[in-house]
Amino acid sequence: MLLGIVRRMLSMALTLFGVSVVIFVVLRLLPGNAVTASLGVSAGLLTHAQLAALNHFYGVGQPAIEQFFSWLGSTLSGNLGVSLASREPVSTLVGQPLLVTLELAAVAMVLGVLIGVGFGMVGAIRPGRWPDDVGQGVSVVGLAIPSFVIGTGLVTFLSSTFHYFPSSQGYVSFLQDPWLNLQQIFFPALTLSLGIGAAIMRTTRAAVLEVSGLNFTRTARGKGVSTQALVWRHLFLNALVPIVTMSGIQLGYLLGGTVIVEQIFVLPGLGRLLVSSINNRDFPVVQSVTLIFATGFVVVNMLVDVLYTIIDPRTRSR
Amino acid sequence: MTDLSTADVAAGGEAAPMHRSWAGAIWHSRNGRIGCVLVALVALGGVLGASGITPHPPGAQDVNAALRGVGIGHLFGTDQFGRDVFSQVLQGLGVSLEIAALAVLIAGAVGTLGGILAGFIGRWVSAVIMRATDVMFAIPAILLALAIVTALGPSILDSAIAIGVGYVPIFVRVVRGPVLALREADFVRAGRVLGFTRSRLLFRHILPSVAGAVAVQASLALAWAILAEASLSFLGLGPPPPTASLGEMVSESSSLASSAWWTLAGPSIAIIVAVIGFNFLGDGLRDAADPRARTR
Repeated sequence: MLLGIVRRMLSMALTLFGVSVVIFVVLRLLPGNAVTASLGVSAGLLTHAQLAALNHFYGVGQPAIEQFFSWLGSTLSGNLGVSLASREPVSTLVGQPLLVTLELAAVAMVLGVLIGVGFGMVGAIRPGRWPDDVGQGVSVVGLAIPSFVIGTGLVTFLSSTFHYFPSSQGYVSFLQDPWLNLQQIFFPALTLSLGIGAAIMRTTRAAVLEVSGLNFTRTARGKGVSTQALVWRHLFLNALVPIVTMSGIQLGYLLGGTVIVEQIFVLPGLGRLLVSSINNRDFPVVQSVTLIFATGFVVVNMLVDVLYTIIDPRTRSR
Repeated sequence: MTDLSTADVAAGGEAAPMHRSWAGAIWHSRNGRIGCVLVALVALGGVLGASGITPHPPGAQDVNAALRGVGIGHLFGTDQFGRDVFSQVLQGLGVSLEIAALAVLIAGAVGTLGGILAGFIGRWVSAVIMRATDVMFAIPAILLALAIVTALGPSILDSAIAIGVGYVPIFVRVVRGPVLALREADFVRAGRVLGFTRSRLLFRHILPSVAGAVAVQASLALAWAILAEASLSFLGLGPPPPTASLGEMVSESSSLASSAWWTLAGPSIAIIVAVIGFNFLGDGLRDAADPRARTR
């Protein structure tokens, strides 16, 4: 058990190292020098000495490998570099948006799991009845309609029909005004959760249907286990592994989806920061934000792996 | 002879209906049929849009016809500049399909090659490739596409590369598994004994057996690529302005949609139909490639 966790941690570290290499290489394909690009026209007015000083300050100009390791080293010690656009340290720039995105992702995940497991269970217990059809219909809609269409439609509907747009007065943190904050988070989270919920619903339905065809279910029913116990203790628990796997996979889409949804609902999260940094060619920020997203994804996947050993004792020996 | 063939069918368990062609097998499944029709519609629209055969010139502005509703002259209405939404959708669909097809071509070619190498050669080549796909999986694909578009730019080829890269690891995984199994299959061993070269074994014997799985994945990848392209252009990172693009149209409609719902509905319908179409076509292909995995 302990050895397994250590091995997973090592493999996670190796993956994250690879991720940082990929992000670094991709962003250094950028033609031209990021420093002069950020200064725009005034770059032409720089003297050689000023240019050299700037290059040295931002660590450009050095060989790529040296740049990579100095970036990696400072990133590991918590120094994410300096934003080219606002001249602020990236670590301060990223703090508040990270909390916003974490809250959004958490609420969306909870909603998605509730929708997915709820409809999936209802559909699997009585397949073919109308609640099942409703669930199936919702899942097709949720899978086929992209989040930016759902989001744009939702914003339009709420603001034109109810004149309701909670983000209009600017973002409010949970500590400042919990009620308004939850309203601001709820609709983007709902937008994201439809897609994830649909995928989780399909997996749940299929997994529970499969388990309900197995012998032990018939035995349990035969010996008179109550419906509630049968559904939750026998069916649900045994179908849990694929449901957890699917939820883990969906988290990757969720993280990507926050970029778009934050844009629609004007939430100052990491995704919005990423898009504005891309438009400003502010690549220390792009680099760090992408790395933060990837780290989150890798860590969650490791937690999912650990979760397996808790849910399913058969996976423990390996 | 007759006895032998009936015995074969009996030994195979349920007798699956035989189809002369792939097309027949795809058409046999319900999802495959729906997929074929939708994809044909989308492809027709895209080709018309790309070759400039649209009811109105997509970029032509006409202030007198601004914000017209859905009607005979304008199938999807007009936007605030009086541009015909349907014509713009066709043009956007053309661009979308072009980028998506290129992206899937890139991802499919690179991924299939990687999967074959990882499965067939084995040992450290496999270890390196599989480790690399793990790394790629760790970065959410749409974020990878965003980062690459930042670096390369928004042209059609650059967008295709950005979108394709994220899908490479999936092709690698899909191909590697079957290749690993086929490497030890009797007919491949027989070929090896007969002294066939490695490349002949690979391209004449193993690759055709993997083609079905690759085709299924390519269809699903097309659906994903269309979504990804629309997402990029929604964020303003698609092809530059004179060209209409579906994602950008959705994003522009957000200020209009409360009074002119068709500006949102037009491009959205195109995206949704394309995504559903390619997903269903993928289902049909899967049924055709593997009759045991029938979708109900």
